Amino acid sequence: MSLRDPFATFGLPARFDVNLPELERVHRELSRAVHPDRVASSAGRKDAVEQAMQVNEAFRVLRDPVKRAEALFQLRGIEVGETHEPKPPPDFLMEVLEQREALAEARAAKDAARVSALEIAMREAQKNAEKRLAAALAPGASADSAKAEIGALGELRFYRRFLEEVSAIHDELLG
Amino acid sequence: MALFEIFDPKAAPRPIGIDLGTTNSLVAYVKNERPIVVLDCDQEALLPSVVSYGDSATPIVGRLAVTRATEHPRETIASVKRFMGRGADDPETKRLGTYAFVPRKEGEPNVVRFNVGSKIVTPVEVSAEILRALRRLAEDELQSVGGAVITVPAYFDDAQRQATKDAAKLAGLDVLRLLNEPTAAALAYGLDKKQNGTFLVYDLGGGTFDVTVLLLSDGVFQVRATGGDSALGGDDMDRAVAGELLVQAKVSPEARERPAVVRAFLTAARAMKHALTDAPEARIENPLGGELTLTRARFDELCGEIVERTGAVCRRTMKDAGVDKDGLDGVILVGGSTRVPLVRGKVKEWLGKEPLADIDPDKVVALGAAVQADLLAGEGNPDDILLLDVIPLSLGIEVGGGVVDKILPRNTTVPAAARASYTTQEDKQTGFQIHVVQGERELAKDNRSLAEFTLKGIPPMAAGMARLEITFRVDADGLLHVTAKETVTGKEQTVEVKPSYGLDDDTVERMLLESIDHGEEDLAARKLAENKVEASRMLSATRKSLDADADLLVDGERENITKAIETLDRARTGSDAGKIQLAISDIDAATKEFAGRRMNRAIARAIAGKAIGDVEASVETALGIDLAHEKGAKGPLPQPKDSEE
Repeated sequence: MSLRDPFATFGLPARFDVNLPELERVHRELSRAVHPDRVASSAGRKDAVEQAMQVNEAFRVLRDPVKRAEALFQLRGIEVGETHEPKPPPDFLMEVLEQREALAEARAAKDAARVSALEIAMREAQKNAEKRLAAALAPGASADSAKAEIGALGELRFYRRFLEEVSAIHDELLG
Repeated sequence: MALFEIFDPKAAPRPIGIDLGTTNSLVAYVKNERPIVVLDCDQEALLPSVVSYGDSATPIVGRLAVTRATEHPRETIASVKRFMGRGADDPETKRLGTYAFVPRKEGEPNVVRFNVGSKIVTPVEVSAEILRALRRLAEDELQSVGGAVITVPAYFDDAQRQATKDAAKLAGLDVLRLLNEPTAAALAYGLDKKQNGTFLVYDLGGGTFDVTVLLLSDGVFQVRATGGDSALGGDDMDRAVAGELLVQAKVSPEARERPAVVRAFLTAARAMKHALTDAPEARIENPLGGELTLTRARFDELCGEIVERTGAVCRRTMKDAGVDKDGLDGVILVGGSTRVPLVRGKVKEWLGKEPLADIDPDKVVALGAAVQADLLAGEGNPDDILLLDVIPLSLGIEVGGGVVDKILPRNTTVPAAARASYTTQEDKQTGFQIHVVQGERELAKDNRSLAEFTLKGIPPMAAGMARLEITFRVDADGLLHVTAKETVTGKEQTVEVKPSYGLDDDTVERMLLESIDHGEEDLAARKLAENKVEASRMLSATRKSLDADADLLVDGERENITKAIETLDRARTGSDAGKIQLAISDIDAATKEFAGRRMNRAIARAIAGKAIGDVEASVETALGIDLAHEKGAKGPLPQPKDSEE
């Protein structure tokens, strides 16, 4: 299966650590170059739409840590997605379950402070998983060492979903 | 009109920008490099978005329609924007109002229908009347109107955008672009101030609320996040105040059901709201005799909840954009409802900044739209300005268990494309049912349903063998196009799109033909106008590109292109639409390769800090491969084996 390399589209090295302002700058400059609004001929505009879509696609992948990690695994020939990745370890699942229960309780009790505390803990865990991914997916790292940390990708997905829920609960508690 | 402006039937069509608002609408254009609003014969810029149907074939639009509202509450439609792209049973139809809604019949498109006495009309037709009135206003001033940029709330979903585009089509307008209102406002401000930085646009109109956080950088307007509520605005304040005034005037519950009474109190409530902008207490005439009073403190209580809801949206949007209030360089206020002191005070409190409102908040959106129309028509200098907007709500499809698989998340920059693969759930399954939804909720039923597709005729295979590929493409107007094909057999399937809300293409076409029967439109004239617009755009852009990248021309190329330019220039002053079309195709062919070389150079320049050779190699790799982001086959539809997030 072919995969377009978003890093190549942006002319950036294929690594997990990216600098958001730099991404935005390249996105801006590439958009200036290919945006269909700036192309004269209508045939040229159709090509430009395709190219602008590609640039935006790459931007969408690169600025999202989960998608960025998935792309880096795929570039190493490692399949991603829940059917391809190993099952998460039981202690992680246990922890997930506990955190979800705690969040549900805090929500029921309308305890915004408790929700915030859970959020802070989860952000820490997220940072940790991102660090592991950054090391495993560093430019020189082998496919095997990358594969050894694929669990961090599953964790990252969980943390993101959890934090999205936290955000929704915050909104709900604030009215 | 000045004496020397002699009517010229061959006047070049001029691009216009339209703010199609809930309460008021405006049209603007660029004159001598500055956007200006078109004034009517009474020197008024704002056309009330009110349409009143009487016995004559042509309805009344604007201030005259407003005066008919009290006497003809059911025949006079105000705030029609709140019904655009909504279903017949939408909560909006159940709020305090005066209309006679027609229940939906089996098999009819799911749209709101108003019984206005002489006939039944949809919000698209009512909006088209407002757009026609604006077009005529612009024609009086410009003689010939070219393409139009029409603004929509950033938070409008796909159905609401489509409805707006349909209305423009009915009104005989050539739509250059649907532009998000906050982005239009930022454009008007950005040009004026030549500032760089991160700005938040707070846009509270009559019926819609938008927040957009965008980054301005040397003429590029990069939207980082957008949020809002497409059913929240000044109208809701009027309803809250009207409720209070009805109590104060001791109106009986039976009388409160009467449309004329409701309309009179909604009008009184609006007058009260306006009066309280400058005074701590206001006194207005009771529609039933006597006087009504209200203090600003009480008004703030009544509207507090509405304003608080906008605060929650601001916080969420800033979180999406990854900025806090200290990261904002400025706050821009847009929309008439930002004149309310409570709104101004709260925005300042939440964001810690004195908001900018030095461009009239009623006009700023139309002014920005005019600037963008000018740019898209090739009149302005496009090298200076570029708008990078986003989709406001995630787009996805329903998979097993009623769960949504998000294909394009909210705040994705447009134009955007993505592809996802699914497989069959059962042995010998020969069809797929595809349900496209928009929204953030996990379950499809909690989101906006956009369309349902059926893909039929798949050869019987074992479960999990067929592979269905769904491609989402969102164009620069923010409109979604979905295609689906079964890839194992290689047989491409035609997809039937059935919009869940709004009108299908056949209905719009029929309405258009009906309006032509009434002598209001002339298709040939419209085609000619469209071609002329395209011709001037291409001429201007092609000439600029010849100047900018002359060194990329190969032998004989300049001569060919120049010849094509001359031919098109001659053709566009004539009245033969076909001839113009032909000359456009010729210039397209003559510049195709040159355009390709220009784009490669531009891409190479964009990726700064790298050797050009490197960049060209990597760009080639990047562009040579697949367009859409390939995901692994994600399991059966509707039952997914494997969800992506």
